[in-house]
Amino acid sequence: MDKLAKQLREDAERIECTVSAELDKRIQASLLATEPEAAKPRGRESRRAWFWWASSLTGVAAAVVMIAIVNLQAPDAVPEASAPTAAPLVLPSIRWHAETAVLTSPLQEEIDDLQSDLRKAEEAVKQDIDRLF
Amino acid sequence: MSNQAALIEAARGGSATAFADLVRDYRDGLLRFLLTRASSYADAEDALQDTLINAYRYLHSYDSRWRFSTWLYRIAINNVSRMRPVDTVELGDLRDEKSDPLAHCIAASDRENLWRYASRTLSDEVYAAMWLRYVEDMSVNDIAAVLERSVSWTKINLMRGRQALSEGLGNNATDDKSTAYG
Repeated sequence: MDKLAKQLREDAERIECTVSAELDKRIQASLLATEPEAAKPRGRESRRAWFWWASSLTGVAAAVVMIAIVNLQAPDAVPEASAPTAAPLVLPSIRWHAETAVLTSPLQEEIDDLQSDLRKAEEAVKQDIDRLF
Repeated sequence: MSNQAALIEAARGGSATAFADLVRDYRDGLLRFLLTRASSYADAEDALQDTLINAYRYLHSYDSRWRFSTWLYRIAINNVSRMRPVDTVELGDLRDEKSDPLAHCIAASDRENLWRYASRTLSDEVYAAMWLRYVEDMSVNDIAAVLERSVSWTKINLMRGRQALSEGLGNNATDDKSTAYG
């Protein structure tokens, strides 16, 4: 145990407190007035699943009947649709001028150095954490 | 079946006495933790009472793969965070000595109790992580479960907490300059 851990433990022990007789009575009375909730019964879940299946099947059956009714009816004569007259949408052309950034050699070196530093720092932190815990 | 498992089973069946026996060993530790987090002694006692009642009420949701203390602390920490609005956390060092619940519980010493220093400098979660680690001897995995955080988050913040407190220890724990993390 290191110095800090030892001191933390000692300082926690220096906090002197115990549950008083009055608080104990209060807790006992509250517990007696409380009912623990029971775990959800399985029966209710199975009833819910059964209800879900029944309503799904009813819905599917209703949909099938509706599709059958619609398809079995004689189709009415459909008037010939006129050709759509919407004007073609013309988008203005936009010229984007973008140039590829060219990194100069010193910048690239600096990035490499920074990445290397970052890797070293990560390693150091990982080592510290592994050592402690 | 262990004694604890038997008590849990009896309490689940509605025995308040079994539950009282079950939590008897954890009550003082929980109260001590809650005292360091609450704004008054009465609030800490209320929080302990709420924690135990919630634990009794929802005992069916306790998973025996966890340590019972881990589960209790999880409820206690949730209670404390509900009790203390987030925007009052930063005002910790403005508390006056009379309302400080720790003022009467800490034996006189020539140096400041590190947990008081921690209370001022660490965030609620980091403080809780440090307490669970160094007072309750919980594993990092258990602490992560209590705080509902990842194991990596827990390790990193424990380390930050240690750094912040080490600085406090080095400065005789009286420097008001905060090095809060988390």
